[in-house]
Amino acid sequence: MKKTTGVHRLPRGLGTLASGRALRSRSAATLCLAGALATAGCGEADDGSGAIRIGAVFDLTGPTADVGTDYANGMMAWVEWTNGRGGIEGRRIDLDWEDYAYDVARAEQAYSRMAGRGVVAFMGWGTGDTEALHARVADDRIPFSSASLSHRLGDPNEAPYNFLVATSYSDQFRIALDWIARDHQAAGEGGSPVVALMHNASPFGLSPARQGGARYAESRGIDLGLHEMPRGAVDYTAELSRIRRRGARYVVIQNTSGPAAQALRDAQSLGMDQTFVCLNWCANALLVRLAGEAAEGMLGTVPYAPLTVDVPGTRVILEHLEARGESPEGKTNAYVQGWWTIAVFGEAMRRVVASGQEPTGAAVKAELESFADFDMGGVTVPLTFTPDDHRGAKGLRLFRVEGGRWTPATEFLQAPPMP
Amino acid sequence: MSLECGVRHVGYESAMGLRPRPAQRIRLGLFAAAVVVFPFVASGYWLDLANQVAIATVGAIGLNILVGYTGQISLGQGAFMAVGAYGAALTTLKWGVPWGVGILLACLLAAVVGVFFGLPSLRLKGLYLAVATLAAQEIAEWTVTHWTAVTGGTEAVVAPAPRLFGARLNGGFEFYWLGVAAAAGTALFAANLFRSRTGRAFVAIRDQDVAAGVIGVDAFKHKLLAFATSSFFVGLAGALTAYYRNIVAWERFTLETSVVYLAMIIVGGLGTIRGSFFGAVLLTLLPATIAGAGRALRDAAPQLAAQLPYVQQAVFGVVIVLFLVFEPKGLSKLWGNVKDYFHVWPFAYRRGETRAS
Repeated sequence: MKKTTGVHRLPRGLGTLASGRALRSRSAATLCLAGALATAGCGEADDGSGAIRIGAVFDLTGPTADVGTDYANGMMAWVEWTNGRGGIEGRRIDLDWEDYAYDVARAEQAYSRMAGRGVVAFMGWGTGDTEALHARVADDRIPFSSASLSHRLGDPNEAPYNFLVATSYSDQFRIALDWIARDHQAAGEGGSPVVALMHNASPFGLSPARQGGARYAESRGIDLGLHEMPRGAVDYTAELSRIRRRGARYVVIQNTSGPAAQALRDAQSLGMDQTFVCLNWCANALLVRLAGEAAEGMLGTVPYAPLTVDVPGTRVILEHLEARGESPEGKTNAYVQGWWTIAVFGEAMRRVVASGQEPTGAAVKAELESFADFDMGGVTVPLTFTPDDHRGAKGLRLFRVEGGRWTPATEFLQAPPMP
Repeated sequence: MSLECGVRHVGYESAMGLRPRPAQRIRLGLFAAAVVVFPFVASGYWLDLANQVAIATVGAIGLNILVGYTGQISLGQGAFMAVGAYGAALTTLKWGVPWGVGILLACLLAAVVGVFFGLPSLRLKGLYLAVATLAAQEIAEWTVTHWTAVTGGTEAVVAPAPRLFGARLNGGFEFYWLGVAAAAGTALFAANLFRSRTGRAFVAIRDQDVAAGVIGVDAFKHKLLAFATSSFFVGLAGALTAYYRNIVAWERFTLETSVVYLAMIIVGGLGTIRGSFFGAVLLTLLPATIAGAGRALRDAAPQLAAQLPYVQQAVFGVVIVLFLVFEPKGLSKLWGNVKDYFHVWPFAYRRGETRAS
């Protein structure tokens, strides 16, 4: 590479600085980039307005963004609604959130930043990040709610600062298995029901079976088989064929809507007539939109009622959306779940502030543990937390897809006890 | 060991020294002082970032030994880190060995696995070797997620917190010293390695392996040795991650991890130790900075909030590309330019101003 300028560069890059052609060299531009990097990202300070700060990580761009976006929007809508009504006892809510794309390392980073800013509660999302953070939130005394409903995380001995605001996966799975056993009996087919659990390849996917579900199936004489859904797969024909060969009559899916819908479509093209049951994260409107016809008639364990179910807990959301001029169309029950999950923590903070205390993490935790039959506006069963049990809700309703809509198929069912 | 303009060596000792010039020693002293003071003034967030940088530095130096110094391209970084992380967590968890021993066992295990996957380097070079190491990555991922009896499959393994004299070492402040010690030890080892006969053999293989053979270097043996040394430190990075984060999950050691580490050493500077450090700093701080800028922008312009996460990902890519476009030899070269400039300042030699005699 020959340069024709009279002033040649040596040493390269910075030589040009000395020769008067300031800041035009390649190296100088790189230096600017490095400088910008060094100065940005600092300067976080409390604004001193008495706002109550809540931290959150959302998955808006990662593999679970299909339901994560709605969940995040539900939380943000609650914050907006609360602040619009003057905040909690006159104190504004400051929701500090970050998109972490389901990456545990990024969640840890976001958490340590937010913990440094004095958040009094933290809204997590995935099982991975919740597991990774549960010891640290206990150290930092920050009550933590995750959308991961891993049964283990509701045990205060394991995770003293984690709270499950919805029915745990294990409870959901046992409710589904209980229903299946009864349905099988009612059909008068005899023998033991054969059930397949198709699950996400992650702790989240395995949690229903691992944390009591498999033992429960055994105790009820249910023949349960696990079938992993590889991450990023675009076709589940092989898994479904195996399920069919095993003679399973019921297929329970523990995954998010996208992969679950794919599995349903594949099942339809294989001509399978098994009864499909979606747990929590695929039992939503998004699934119906993605799977279309293939979802018709399937069941779902739905811990939070969708907006189409008319109860006080959904009415308040609809009113807020109407006031904002936003359509409830396309908002799934993950939206309701997000709204009500953070609302529970908000209520605990309100009670703390109302009693004249400063809402610290420890105070919020203590207040949450006094919740007894807290009314959730009918979107789920009333919540009860105790110091020995952080699994607030132990029941839910099964819903069925009818005419492209999730409609309640049963009354509230209580989770059968652990075997 | 390039000779520098303006330095007169009067003996081998100074010519071979790691830091022969006073300016170098002063710089190192200042840096060391900053490292010691940092944890006392930094917030938890910055400590967490610093710890990530320390771990990434260990891993990047490890990878640089293989890729930058020996010229063997590896996409198996995530796999070797996984071996280190699971090795450390499982030996302490299942056999109850102390964490220090656990780290050592994990590193040795990673080195053995590294040698095994380095075997194809006898016949394969360049892109072909890259594909062979890609296989290592895939095999490791598959093994970790399917060998349920040992690794717990996709379930995360909870590593016991390391303790020293009763104090837990995985808090931000406590781990910092462990991380810094590991990073400094790795850097010191690597710097000395490439002043030794073995290290020179690595470099000779990188520059021309046939020629290296001609002058008597056993190329295959040294390639395997490079794989072992590299994987040892990469395993150390994995083991440190396991103890620091308490939790070992396969999602942390995917192909993406391998690519990020390759980006670190390429952006930082191939075949340099300080480049590994610069790359580790950049690739750790850049996402954090972009996220910080994103938050500031979100508050300023809420209507952009929905698009921001995507913009952030794009910005990350663009910044990396810009660094490479403006300084293909990496941050290390950039730092070298700065040093060179001040080294002879204000009497820089410029070709246009010299007169032919």
